[in-house]
Amino acid sequence: MEKLRYERPVIKKLETGMPNKFGLRTEYYPKTQIDGVSIKELIKEHGSPLFVISENTIRSTYQQAKRAFTTRYPKVQFAWSYKTNYLNAVCNVYHQEGSWAEVVSGFEYDKAIANGVNGKKIIFNGPDKSRNDLTKAIKNDSILHIDHLDELYTIIELADELNKKPRVAIRVNMDTGIYPMWDRFGFNYENGQAWDALNKIMRSGKMDLVGLHTHIGTFMLSPNAYSIATSKLVDLALGLQQKYNHEIHYLDLGGGFCSRNTLKGAYLPGDDTNPTFDDYAEAITTVLINSSFPQEKMPTLILETGRALIDDAGYLITSVIANKRLSGGKRATIIDAGVNIMFTSFWYEHKITPAQNFTHYSEDTVLYGPLCMNIDVIRESISLPLLNKGDQMVIHSVGAYNMTQWMQFITLRPKIVLIDMDERVHVIRDKETIEDIENQESTPDYLKKFNL
Amino acid sequence: MNKIKNLFPGYLTSIANSYSQIFFSNSKFFAIILIVVSFFDWVAGLSGLLAVTTTNTVAYIFGLNRSNIKAGYYGFNSLLVALSLGVYFQINIEFLIILFFTSILTLFITIALEGVIGKYGIPYLSIPFLIVCWMISLATRQYSHLEVSERGIYMMNEMYKVGGIRLLNIYEWFDQLNLPASIIMYFRSLGAIFFQYSVLAGMLIAVGLVFYSRIAFLLSLLGFFSAFIFYRIIGANLSELSNHYIGFNFILTAIAIGGYFIVSSRYSFLWVILMSPLIVITITSANAILAIWQLPIYSLPFNLVVLLFLYVLKFRERFHHKPELVYLQQNTPEKNLYFQSNNKTRFKNAFYIPFSLPFIGEWRVTQGYNGEYTHKGDWQHALDFEVYDEKGMAFKAQGSNLEDFYCFNKPILSPSGGWVEEIEDDIEDNKVGETNSAKNWGNTIIIRHADGLYSKLCHLKKNSFKVVKGDYVKKGDVLAYCGNSGHSPKPHIHFQLQATPYIGSKTIEYPIGNYLLNTKGRFELKQFEKPNKDDTITAFERNRVLANAFNFIPGKKLCFKVEVNGHPHQDAEWEIEKDIYNQLFISCSKTNSKIYFYTDDVQMYFTRFSGNQKSVLFQFYLSAYKIMFGFYQNMEVKDVFPIHIIRKPWLIFIQDFVASFYIFLKSEYTIRYVSKTDDFNLSQIELAGNYQLKVFGKLFNHSEFKISINNEGLQQILIENTSLNKTVTLTKI
Repeated sequence: MEKLRYERPVIKKLETGMPNKFGLRTEYYPKTQIDGVSIKELIKEHGSPLFVISENTIRSTYQQAKRAFTTRYPKVQFAWSYKTNYLNAVCNVYHQEGSWAEVVSGFEYDKAIANGVNGKKIIFNGPDKSRNDLTKAIKNDSILHIDHLDELYTIIELADELNKKPRVAIRVNMDTGIYPMWDRFGFNYENGQAWDALNKIMRSGKMDLVGLHTHIGTFMLSPNAYSIATSKLVDLALGLQQKYNHEIHYLDLGGGFCSRNTLKGAYLPGDDTNPTFDDYAEAITTVLINSSFPQEKMPTLILETGRALIDDAGYLITSVIANKRLSGGKRATIIDAGVNIMFTSFWYEHKITPAQNFTHYSEDTVLYGPLCMNIDVIRESISLPLLNKGDQMVIHSVGAYNMTQWMQFITLRPKIVLIDMDERVHVIRDKETIEDIENQESTPDYLKKFNL
Repeated sequence: MNKIKNLFPGYLTSIANSYSQIFFSNSKFFAIILIVVSFFDWVAGLSGLLAVTTTNTVAYIFGLNRSNIKAGYYGFNSLLVALSLGVYFQINIEFLIILFFTSILTLFITIALEGVIGKYGIPYLSIPFLIVCWMISLATRQYSHLEVSERGIYMMNEMYKVGGIRLLNIYEWFDQLNLPASIIMYFRSLGAIFFQYSVLAGMLIAVGLVFYSRIAFLLSLLGFFSAFIFYRIIGANLSELSNHYIGFNFILTAIAIGGYFIVSSRYSFLWVILMSPLIVITITSANAILAIWQLPIYSLPFNLVVLLFLYVLKFRERFHHKPELVYLQQNTPEKNLYFQSNNKTRFKNAFYIPFSLPFIGEWRVTQGYNGEYTHKGDWQHALDFEVYDEKGMAFKAQGSNLEDFYCFNKPILSPSGGWVEEIEDDIEDNKVGETNSAKNWGNTIIIRHADGLYSKLCHLKKNSFKVVKGDYVKKGDVLAYCGNSGHSPKPHIHFQLQATPYIGSKTIEYPIGNYLLNTKGRFELKQFEKPNKDDTITAFERNRVLANAFNFIPGKKLCFKVEVNGHPHQDAEWEIEKDIYNQLFISCSKTNSKIYFYTDDVQMYFTRFSGNQKSVLFQFYLSAYKIMFGFYQNMEVKDVFPIHIIRKPWLIFIQDFVASFYIFLKSEYTIRYVSKTDDFNLSQIELAGNYQLKVFGKLFNHSEFKISINNEGLQQILIENTSLNKTVTLTKI
């Protein structure tokens, strides 16, 4: 018989009579394993904290998204948004599933090429594409999503220089009835900038205008905004057909779909309220399928969703460093994962579950990271069972952005493992060492010596 | 000569064909033999040539159908008349005048008959010859300036005059050959068709016949000897058969109904045997009647029996293949057989309207024909569809809400063009697990695709219809959305075809035109088949790059740089043209070759090749025989070539002899969809395939080919024949 677990005593205000709106007590289940691999084993093997990515979840989420769109519209193409998570292993799972690459910098572009993505299947977004980047992309026949006129002019110059017809689309920004309206990227639809850019492209005759792109925002809670965006792109595409007899091959609706995470300040958990792939698919494809494109000239629908595809596949296992009580009496727990590797804790209330069994007693707790910085708070208030030093917790849905926006600050960045379809564990990024950091540095000789 | 060519294109062909047409052939070699045979009696030969020339020229100046003139359809009756006159009369100026007007008369009667009996879909055969011959025979008795020839009597003299003793010896030698009487009789009967009652003439014609068609030669033997045996059995006068103007009736009848107008088969052979007694009866009775006016019966029995039989066949309501009429005349019994049997395998489904699946993406058949739940009795031919995920679930989460089901609220499309006949749109969608048996079909749409052919889609979502009653919908238009109304405990759609326009009509069995069966990521193309329960299927999606590459419209030119075994060859320049029957073909004017083809929204296939098989166009025919306009990785499209395109003369020669009973040659076509890069304006598609010749099921010869396509169309075709060590490369110019 297993030894009974020690839990420290707790004194809690008795809440009877008045059930709160979530019921009498919070239902908790420990998360002791991910895809059949024990968390304790993972920590023993790889140390704490540890990012874990589930290949199974990636693939099944992708299939779910694909199904939502392809059963509503015949021509759908996903392009993996590199900035969301550009670990090569992760990118390649998406490429295996058929995703193209969507990159927003020369660095990401090189990464995609190094991963073996055919240049023609790379969509190059973003406001900062250097002349060098553009040259590379044009030579590879990648698709350039033009962000501003200065870029447009550079491409015209390069077209002459390279004697090649670059394949381009413009990014269009627009009012879709949501706030804030993202108008800093691309050309505006309502004030005619978009048409201005399109006219310039068509009149120049130096580019192949293959598509139209928009990306209306991030974590969009209203699918209807996509309907509006789609109809505006359709309007432009049909206008081009009419004015220049030019066919647009694709409409790229960008990304911005919500994951299952709960935004800070949300009244209800994201799992219950956030739109699903089906909601977005419905909004977008209904407009497309009922538009006046002739059946054989229906454009391909490109989607660059990143967050909604990867978020749920990422977990962060962390261990308790210490428990303490704050001056106001509130319980505080310090864990070994800080905001430097959990960037998203600034805007999400991540779901966090203990990795071992516990009793039903719980206490309102603030979760602090290990950094010696006041802002290092993972959750300001969470009802957790009574944890001891050395216990583990699993932070859910951390697949998006954390592994690209993390930084080496005070501590080093941890290991990332991938659990494959056969429950085997692969290290896909090793933990950083002091050499990794110092290799980039050089200390002038006169600063190498000092006496204290 | 060039002047004639310009004035009357196909002049020589029209003359040659007028000769070979007597044996239903258009072989030039056969024509030369026949011309030589006709000149055994030089007056007859000359008269024949003059008559054919006159008739074809008059027909041309008169403005009659040029292809009929060229095919020899108008010339052969005049030829027969002239031959019969030529052997009978001495040549003099009066004779030539009579010959000239006889030819015109024959032409007029031919045209009149074409108009009169042509509308019953039967040929005029040699009836014009019969009529004119009798008319002339009756009329010339009064013309004293015509002199009856004595050449028939002093034939040896004539022959000596022409070729000396040597020719006479050869001629004699053949006549004195120690052959069985029946064989001699057979050769003489063959010769008699050209009014040459000699064994040599018959033998030459027999050689020509074998050259023209092995089946026709077999049939000539069968026809003649079945008559021979019948005469023996009934004890009729064998001298009647040996009479030189009688025996050939059996031979021509045998060729006509054994393989020319009817597809050669064991049934056609049986009918040739069964026809002999009919001919015998006709001969005897007709002889009795015509004897009154001292007229010979010539080919009357052949004409009567063949026309009778062909006409009677048209009244059949059953057993249309026993025997089967030739639908598109290919001018040899072999081609008729090979072409028609090939067409029967290739286009057996042409009769069906090609329905597509009424949804987008991948769905699963949850109840098929004769299903275990509701597809029973009058409603057995129906299909139910749902969407399943890769884990085999039809829903996500708990499946307690309609929205959890993957198929719920998915667009439902029109399976083919038609008019919206009926819509039921006001039935509430059930909660999961509940059914509405009062209105069991739920929200329903019925579309009329043709008279007596309606499709019905049921259990649609309330108020989700995008069309109204009376609308015309195209294939693929959104009709409504998948719901859960009627007798439906969980969202799905019910699809059926029916002959009457009512909700609740009984179903009819009808295949789906094109769809893909997806087994573990492999796509298998299904054409005109019925999906089975638990099949995961996808609607066939057209790929525009493929469709564009094979979109051959009249006027379009295909130009390729050609290399054979790495050495430059003459460039291929082909043009798409259209004939008066509205058939499209790819034409190569240099080699005078053509590929006839057919295109619709999902496929392009070649129907026929004519011309030079050594041409590069023929290689193209082999490599792009059938192209489906949808790209699915590793999808294979298979087809079979007609046998007569095989370029193995001796194999074909053997095959021809037994073809009516057994086919041991098979030439198969396979094309595989290798790779596709869907890069909008820079898309690239690679196809690979092979052509395999099998003898008794064993691989005998094969070619491999690769086709590269991009947005601009066909880029490169590479054909490699490993057995011949020959590589042909076509690169777009």
